[in-house]
Amino acid sequence: MTIELTVDDAARVRLWHRVSQFLFREARLLDEWRLVEWYDEMLTGDIRYSVPATDVRGEPAGALGLIDDDAARLRQRVEQLLNGEVWCENPRSRTNRMISNVEILTDRGSHLDVAANMVVYRFGHGRSDAYVGKCRFELVVEGESFRIRRRVVVLDHETLYEHGKLSIIL
Amino acid sequence: MTIELQRPVGDRIVIDDLERLSFRVDRRAYTDEDLAAQEMTRIFDRCWLYVGHESEVPGPGSYVARDVGGRPVVMARGSDGVVRVFANSCTHRGALICSQPSGQARSFRCPYHDWTFSNQGDLVGVPIPDGYGPGFRRADFGLAQHRSESYRGFVFATFDPEQPRTLPEYLAGATEYLDLIDDQSEVGMEVIQGAQLHGARANWKLMMENSVDIYHFRALHKRYVGYMESLGSVPPRRRGGFGCALGLGHGANELPPAAARPLAYWTPMFGAEVRPRIEATAARFVDRFGPERAERITGTNRAVLIFPNLMIIDAIAITIRKIDPVGAGQMAITSVALAPRDEDPDIRELRKSHYLTFLGPAGFATPDDIEIIESCQRGYLNRTVRYSDLSRGMNKEIPETTDELPAREFWRQWDRLMHDDDAHPDLARRAGMPGEEPR
Repeated sequence: MTIELTVDDAARVRLWHRVSQFLFREARLLDEWRLVEWYDEMLTGDIRYSVPATDVRGEPAGALGLIDDDAARLRQRVEQLLNGEVWCENPRSRTNRMISNVEILTDRGSHLDVAANMVVYRFGHGRSDAYVGKCRFELVVEGESFRIRRRVVVLDHETLYEHGKLSIIL
Repeated sequence: MTIELQRPVGDRIVIDDLERLSFRVDRRAYTDEDLAAQEMTRIFDRCWLYVGHESEVPGPGSYVARDVGGRPVVMARGSDGVVRVFANSCTHRGALICSQPSGQARSFRCPYHDWTFSNQGDLVGVPIPDGYGPGFRRADFGLAQHRSESYRGFVFATFDPEQPRTLPEYLAGATEYLDLIDDQSEVGMEVIQGAQLHGARANWKLMMENSVDIYHFRALHKRYVGYMESLGSVPPRRRGGFGCALGLGHGANELPPAAARPLAYWTPMFGAEVRPRIEATAARFVDRFGPERAERITGTNRAVLIFPNLMIIDAIAITIRKIDPVGAGQMAITSVALAPRDEDPDIRELRKSHYLTFLGPAGFATPDDIEIIESCQRGYLNRTVRYSDLSRGMNKEIPETTDELPAREFWRQWDRLMHDDDAHPDLARRAGMPGEEPR
């Protein structure tokens, strides 16, 4: 049996593949603590990284979340994590990110809205935690690759009662 | 010396030695499950406990459901506008009558048999009522209502029908601090939507101690301090600060801001754009309250511990932190932000941003607090080291913020409630405690 793809189909599959590879690379850099590379090569200068509160659904205007970093604070987060000042990440925890259900929601040519599911396992300091969430990315197309302009991780947990803290970048 | 300090002193948990100026807590207080169970009956079943803020139930019919002192409750504003606290348990067979964390309801219907209660607690619906005899009266089956009172918008409840104190009496010197917080808006303060629900694998009292401990700040929170300095925080415009005991286990620290306060204390880290607005607010506070009290409200940071499990930290943002024990070695933490209801939108964004920089499970400070108290809890596994020390400042008339007086006040009340036969001891103090009297 042969499968015939139209030119459009082929382009969509290729784009989906490139987006998936991009997100897998991001996961790998974060897992390997290559945070400066991640910050410099994968994000735009006006990146916004947010994790909404677990007791609100959707993103109601005015609500407080858990993380709402602009580029400067995210850069600070990266530096602190790398220079050992983050007491709860020193020694560094081991993480393993599973990215799945990658879906291109809208393709506006120069921008893509992408959804993905994520499980981040974190091991360290005698404990193991799993963070489960749904991600939304706004990707800016840059040649054959992308940069992330908006990165939202909506946790599915009701509370972080067992985790206590969220000291890694999800 | 070391060995002598580790020798058990009777079976006391709290060893308050005024001659040697030594205050020690036996670490069983953090690890012993029997003590944890006794705390629930001797402390949480007796004290006034924080339930929530009135702004969380803004209009008739609005409600929140949460656990208070280990018990599921509903705080509801009835159609009559009155805020009540009910046991979240059907009077028929016990199921939760409210399983949504918050919302709007004219009535609560138990899903088990459809018993229905009004938002004022009355039983208003019983399906197939002819199953009961003539002695059955709906009035006997209204929701159990807990005694609750509100002080400046902060709603507390007690499960003890014999609790002899009104809420203001119970709050003792802490009322002054709630005044300093509620006075920050003429139209009222509000809880910002979005709670930080997290926890720690540590005894709840460690988080209470940590929240009034300024001593650890420069050591544990170097990264936060460094970040604030990089943003352009400047040294406080005045010196000073002190820790105090407020009676009945409550305590506070008060100190000049090291950074800025979104209400009315501008420093360059907030940016030039908002300066005129923040300084105009500061001037209005001077008009309203006079320069001295205005400075205390707007130009002073404070951390207030309200016994047993409420912390309010009023610094670069205000957080209300409710800390609930879950056995000896785990706690649940609920943190929300409080802000003036009439806050300028740009300044609200600044407040939220700085709140997140410091606070919550992903801030630049709180995760390290969580980690360090979990580390303490792990350290207690080595029972060779029997006591923790909280003596700092016992040698001073007016303890400084880096001393441990508020924590000692907490422990002294804990000790009275856990060990004294008198269920509600008065403020009676042992004689000869220089500098340790409540204000």
